[in-house]
Amino acid sequence: MSAVEGAGQIEHCYQCSACVAECPAARKVDAFNPREIVLASLLGVAEHLTAKDSVIWQCATCYKCYERCPQGTRPVEVITALKNIATAEGNAPEETTALRDTVLSSGFLLALSDAVVKRRSELGLPPVPGSRSDLGEMMGR
Amino acid sequence: MAKAQAKEKGYTLFLGCMVPLRHPYIEASARKTFENLGIDIADSEEFTCCPEPWSVKGSDLEAWLSIAMRNLAVGEKAGRDMMVLCNGCYATLKEAEHIASSDGDVVTAANKRLATKKMKYSGGVGPTHVAQVFAGMTEEIGKSVTMPLGGLKVAVHHGCHILRPAEVMGFDDPFEPSVLEGLLETLGAEVVRYKGYTDCCGKAVRDELVGLELAGDKLSAMEAAGADCVAVVCPACFEQFDLGQVEIKRKLKKAHTLPVFHLCELVALAQGEDAAKLGMERHRTPVKPVTDRLK
Repeated sequence: MSAVEGAGQIEHCYQCSACVAECPAARKVDAFNPREIVLASLLGVAEHLTAKDSVIWQCATCYKCYERCPQGTRPVEVITALKNIATAEGNAPEETTALRDTVLSSGFLLALSDAVVKRRSELGLPPVPGSRSDLGEMMGR
Repeated sequence: MAKAQAKEKGYTLFLGCMVPLRHPYIEASARKTFENLGIDIADSEEFTCCPEPWSVKGSDLEAWLSIAMRNLAVGEKAGRDMMVLCNGCYATLKEAEHIASSDGDVVTAANKRLATKKMKYSGGVGPTHVAQVFAGMTEEIGKSVTMPLGGLKVAVHHGCHILRPAEVMGFDDPFEPSVLEGLLETLGAEVVRYKGYTDCCGKAVRDELVGLELAGDKLSAMEAAGADCVAVVCPACFEQFDLGQVEIKRKLKKAHTLPVFHLCELVALAQGEDAAKLGMERHRTPVKPVTDRLK
């Protein structure tokens, strides 16, 4: 867990639920509870959280838990660490890894379509580069 | 150690993906306002995706940091601070700037990746958000206003990543921000505070319906406070509210009709620029109810 930057103070959590109070995902998704996610990670029983279709992917990454936590636990970064573990185990949602792979292979999230080229020209905007292929190489892919 | 090269005035524009490739009208307004305010802008063809801070950071921290530090290195070589128009780009680049000055394992790994391209980021320049730049020049902006947004009731949606974590982003109070509201008032708008004004737009949630519900809750609160339109500082939040209103109607059977504007678009309108020439008719929620009032 400490391999992920910013998620190193998990053992300071005293389960106060300050993170839950303003969590937008917790408000809408019954199974999503940042306090329980931190507890499971702390106890080393987080296999269900890194399994396929885990609830962790419902995190809105709004960082309210990061700000409200009195102990510097940073639940959102604990969740980021869990997401990295889930991805390494091949359990991330396909759309998430597909986005990463698009960035690595083309340099951008979105393709430069003919329609966008035309619209940019109509708006008098300068041309933008279509894609860069060297990010994958930089990352050894 | 060699002294860092002196930083040039003005900014290198860091466009990212969503503004230039999906919402170019935001870029058109931004460039027009920079021209009107005499802000010196340079472009670079070397930048890539920031990269996107939810999926890329969420799946591969090392790739996320390496690509972000590569963009910062490109900006450093260009010699000017990098201005962004997007909270996602701001979150990634600002956090990467912060992490790059530490000596964690992932920084060492990212530095090795950059070294394979003979690149290095030493912190000589950093990212700044257009909202931050504008907030630092309210006097000049006030003077540039030729068509005040008289009486237009604007609900400000900050978006999460310009505010939090506050110790990294350094923009405003993470729970009771007011800087953006002050800027809108400089344009002549009347700002309306609404319930949950610092809440998330819901764009990054995996379940689309949950995300749309979060956006719909905010739109309802804005309407209840009497808002005529929404002001955002991020193309992802923009899309969640603008296209989102179409999706909310289709999937949640709830109707909202609140025009959505990026801050740069509202500054351009207040500077007397023409909404159609800047492409604002391309918004999915029609802007006419607002632009008609400003004539």
